Amino acid sequence: MMTGLILHASAIGLLLTGIYAIAARRHLMRNILGLAVLESGANLLLVAIGYRQGGHAPILVAGQTPGPMVDPIPQALVLTAIVIGFGVLALALALVVRVKENYGTLDNREVAERLRAESREARS
Amino acid sequence: MTPALPAIIYPVALPLMGAFLLPIAARSLPELAGALGRVVVLVSMAVSAMLASSVWSSGPAVSAMGGFAAPLGIVFYADRLAMLFVLALHAGVFLFWPRGRGENAGAFTLMLTLLGGGSGLALSGDLFNIFVFYEIAAVASYGLAASGGGRAGYAAAIRFLILGSLGSTLALVGIALVYGATGTLNLADLARLAPRMLNNPLGLSAFLLLLIGFGVKAELTPVNTWAPEVYGAAPARVAALLAGVVSKLAIVVILRFLVLAFPMPAARAALLVTGILGVIAGELAAWRAPNLNQAFSYSSIAQLGMVAMAFSISGPAGIAAGVALALHHAVVKPAFFMLADRWRAPLESLKGAAKDSPLAAGLFVLLSLSIIGIPPLPGFWAKFLFLKAAMASSWSLVWFAAAVMLAATVVEAAWLLRAISAFYASAPQSAPRPPRPGMEHLGPALALGALLLAAMIFTAPLGASINALADEAGGAQAIAARVLDKGE
Repeated sequence: MMTGLILHASAIGLLLTGIYAIAARRHLMRNILGLAVLESGANLLLVAIGYRQGGHAPILVAGQTPGPMVDPIPQALVLTAIVIGFGVLALALALVVRVKENYGTLDNREVAERLRAESREARS
Repeated sequence: MTPALPAIIYPVALPLMGAFLLPIAARSLPELAGALGRVVVLVSMAVSAMLASSVWSSGPAVSAMGGFAAPLGIVFYADRLAMLFVLALHAGVFLFWPRGRGENAGAFTLMLTLLGGGSGLALSGDLFNIFVFYEIAAVASYGLAASGGGRAGYAAAIRFLILGSLGSTLALVGIALVYGATGTLNLADLARLAPRMLNNPLGLSAFLLLLIGFGVKAELTPVNTWAPEVYGAAPARVAALLAGVVSKLAIVVILRFLVLAFPMPAARAALLVTGILGVIAGELAAWRAPNLNQAFSYSSIAQLGMVAMAFSISGPAGIAAGVALALHHAVVKPAFFMLADRWRAPLESLKGAAKDSPLAAGLFVLLSLSIIGIPPLPGFWAKFLFLKAAMASSWSLVWFAAAVMLAATVVEAAWLLRAISAFYASAPQSAPRPPRPGMEHLGPALALGALLLAAMIFTAPLGASINALADEAGGAQAIAARVLDKGE
């Protein structure tokens, strides 16, 4: 019971921290770190949902006495989500490098304003 | 289950395989890279067309991956709705295929990845698989947004990526909540369990999280701030593809969630409200937009808001209206984006554009009339279906939505006519002549214009077909029976 509560509470804490870092911070690197924290929160929530008190790893071994096992499906989902998250993070960092090279700033709001100004200008 | 691969996976497997092999092939055969990619798209389209014709003649196809039966295994489910949008995506990818050869292999790979991910999104019958395919399509579109080579593309792409990843992670939380409440991820299984297990505040919050997540791609308010930035910075053909087809796939997935897993009034109300907000915000922003490209970006938000409004009406009439609106927009908006690519200057400097490019201006008028809803153009019938479904509904919020749509039509007509009257105005002698859309713009736009006219001629069979499609897609329990009882 206690473990489940701690897992759920930490997951919600991570989710809220991530949303705060994305929504309230202007620095692109902080936004991206916020994404990483948010993803950890979602993954932890999935693991917590599959958790069973006193459960074993869901692998049958010879001579094992039948007992409660943790749900393997959320673990498979988390594994996939981690890989996706890794790929997205790598792409985000690559784009951030290009933004810094081209605009000389990583302030999200400033980048947005200059983007808007550029789209107003006539392009041939 | 036969050991051979079922046909249903080819629209996903072929493009993804092509995406991985194309960069390798491009090294040894750089001249052929673009053509090879097109061949992959065509083969996949041919297989999809065969599958679609069998779905149309003998009903939906279900396939359990690896022979594990649902709900334990992962299923692909192909009905008319799914196949229609799979075919539309193939056509869009083919039409807006990037130019160039081996040096452009990155863009080819991204297009094929988008195609595979998007097809999977339409065909998958499993919540988590939908999430994975959504991410595949999303990452490909972040890359395509930056593929124009300009610095604005990078800035638009990173802002798109942050919003998109925030959305899809929240969608993952929604999926976790659904799994925690029901213990299944299979949409057909959920159709049976949802009335008992998801008809509660937990189910509603799961739906809202999924709505935010998939709403990013579907340009739903308020998670659509990326749209004008990306459509302004990306190449016109990418804007055309994302606004035209990819956004429709996302909203079709939202419709599936609504029909199968969240059949409750509060979920419909949430979709309806975001649709109304999208229509109001989108058309007003389009009216004030600094140039045509931005106006079309905002109006695409409004058009998707209309689709969301239609999908929120319960029953097949709403689905049919939403599909008609989505299809119409999928034909018209890409053509607009192509025509407006060279006409990004403020309207005053476009005076006399019709004299230099009469064909483009004429097509612009035709598309405008259709999107405003002048009979007998298809846009009229799409809006008419929506109004009919709204009037038949007993829900007063839907009547309000219908009024909003009529008001939005007036605003839309106002700014489109402003543009048209600029095109046909006589230009001052001293002014530089406005740029002309090139063949690479006019070609796809003319193809889409021809499609629009064909749809006008075949309105009656098209309407019957959409109604049959809506009946099939709206029957949650019939879908569940097909997947769980008959599915091998």
